[in-house]
This record gives sequence, structure tokens and C-alpha cells, in this order.
Amino acid sequence: MSQTILVVDDSPTVVKFLSFSLKGKGYDVLTARDGMDALEKMSSLETSVDLIITDLNMPNLDGYGLIEAVRESQEHQETPIIILSSEEGVEDRERGISAGASSYLVKPFKSTLLLTEVSKYLN
Amino acid sequence: MAASDKVQAKIQREIFELTTSIAGLVASFKKLKRPLAESHEKVPQATDQLDKISEQTEAAAHQMLDQIEQITQREDELIKGTEHLKAKIQAGESEEAVRMIDKIAEMANNNLNDAYMIMDSLQFQDITAQQMDHAASILEDIETKLDTILDAMGDSVRSDRAARVAPKTRAYDPHADLFDRKTNQEDIDSLFDKKQQ
Repeated sequence: MSQTILVVDDSPTVVKFLSFSLKGKGYDVLTARDGMDALEKMSSLETSVDLIITDLNMPNLDGYGLIEAVRESQEHQETPIIILSSEEGVEDRERGISAGASSYLVKPFKSTLLLTEVSKYLN
Repeated sequence: MAASDKVQAKIQREIFELTTSIAGLVASFKKLKRPLAESHEKVPQATDQLDKISEQTEAAAHQMLDQIEQITQREDELIKGTEHLKAKIQAGESEEAVRMIDKIAEMANNNLNDAYMIMDSLQFQDITAQQMDHAASILEDIETKLDTILDAMGDSVRSDRAARVAPKTRAYDPHADLFDRKTNQEDIDSLFDKKQQ
């Protein structure tokens, strides 16, 4: 059974690009346009999400808020979360760590780098 | 009261009214000064941001065109290669045919890598969209400042426009940049590795 990755980004281009790259490697991909949408989709899912890839700057609920909410839930305390953001300041990275992210990739990124990062958490 | 006293009182009253009116004007101009100065500072910011978008979209487009050029050159070679391959197979030169198949596979693989690189380059759309949102928010800020000036001048343009256009929610990184990378991935990874230890 293939593993499921939730991609959360308000840019349709990034969502399409990530979906294409990840589906090409055999992963199932779910998408959400912001943190709130992601939480709603996760709560209505019958299967669990194996990994989350999220942007930081998003309307309604940003990436930090999403990570904190995910870490508070029993079910997803251990789910790997990769931040994908154009924010590359030390403060952003440290805030990402404190919120509970597993990795942080800076946009624009190479798809090979992202796939390597994903394969670190999913076999 | 003597006639001259009446005239003097009238002059005094008019001078007082004039002074009050000038004081009011000075206060109004002071009120205008700040939004005008802020607008003056923000216009170049918005212009710089738009110039950056123009430069970065151009660079990204050139990068992609270079990769497409390489792909099409390889495709030409592939087409010619398959014709030669067919001839070699028909002539029974299997060793040469195998060598050509390896070469064709290598070119196809390079094309695949270049296609992925083009896809990576297409992220410029996300980055420049954020840069445009930043420029738009600067322009919206200028608009607000100009509205303040119009309000101070007793103009009702602002309320008419505000009623027409709902403000757009913008979520963007003001530092988003396609090429100007300030940190490398190794530094970021080491920060996360330390956390996990």
C-alpha cells in the first residue's frame, strides 16, 4: 500500500509541481490550500497521513499554526513535517523547530533534494 | 466709541480670524506631511520590487529556454540515432547496435533530467507571485496614505472606493527571491539535526 503525503500550500503552481514529483515516485498525494483546509481534510480522512509538506505564509492558518495544531493531536504527534518556505531567516527556522517541524527546505528548491528528504522519513 | 476705535476693533477681529485660519491651514499641512513623506518613500520600494520581478522572470525564462534548447538538440540526435540503429540491426552489426542503444538511453536520461530542471525552474511563478503581492501591498499602503490626504482635504473619494473594492488577503514572504540565497541547506539541516539529538 502506498504512503500518503499531505501537501499544504496556497500556490497552485507549487501544489501541482509537488504532486507531480511525489506521484511520480509512487506516493499518494493529498492537497490543501492553507493550514485550516489541511486540518479539515485530515480530520475527515479515513486513512492516516504519513508525511506533511507545508508552506509557512498562508492565509487563514499559516504553517506554524498548522504544525502546532498537528503536534497537539494524539494521532499525528510523530508524523514527519517538512517546511517548504522562501523564508530563510534564522528566526523562521528556529520557530519552525520550536513548532515541531522535522525538516526545512528553502524555496526555490530542487525536486531531487525534496525527494531525498521525503525518503528519509518514508520507506 | 470713536470711529477710529471701531475701525481698530474691526481690524483686530479680522487679524484674529486670519491668524486662526492660517493656524488651521498649517495644522492641515502638517497632517498631510507625514502621509506624503511616507508615500514618497514607498513608491521607489514598489518600483524596485517590480524591477526585481522583471529581472527574475527574464532570468528564469532564459534558464528554461537553454534547457529546452539542449533537449531539442538531443531529440534531433535521438531521431538520427534510431535511423542508424535500424540500419545496424538490419546489417547484423549487433555490437554496434548495443553501443548505440546505450547512447540513446543516456540521451533520453539527460532529457528527463533537463525536464525535471525545467520543472524546478517553474517555481519562479510562486516566488514572483509573492514579490508581486509585496509590491501590491506597498501600493495599497500608498493608496491608504493618499486617502488620508484626501480625507484631510475633505474629499469623499476614499469612501466611494472603499465601498467598491474589498481588501484582498495577502500572505507572502517580503524577502522571497529566486536567486539571492542567503543561507545554504547544510546550515539549515545542521540546525534541525542539533534539535533531534
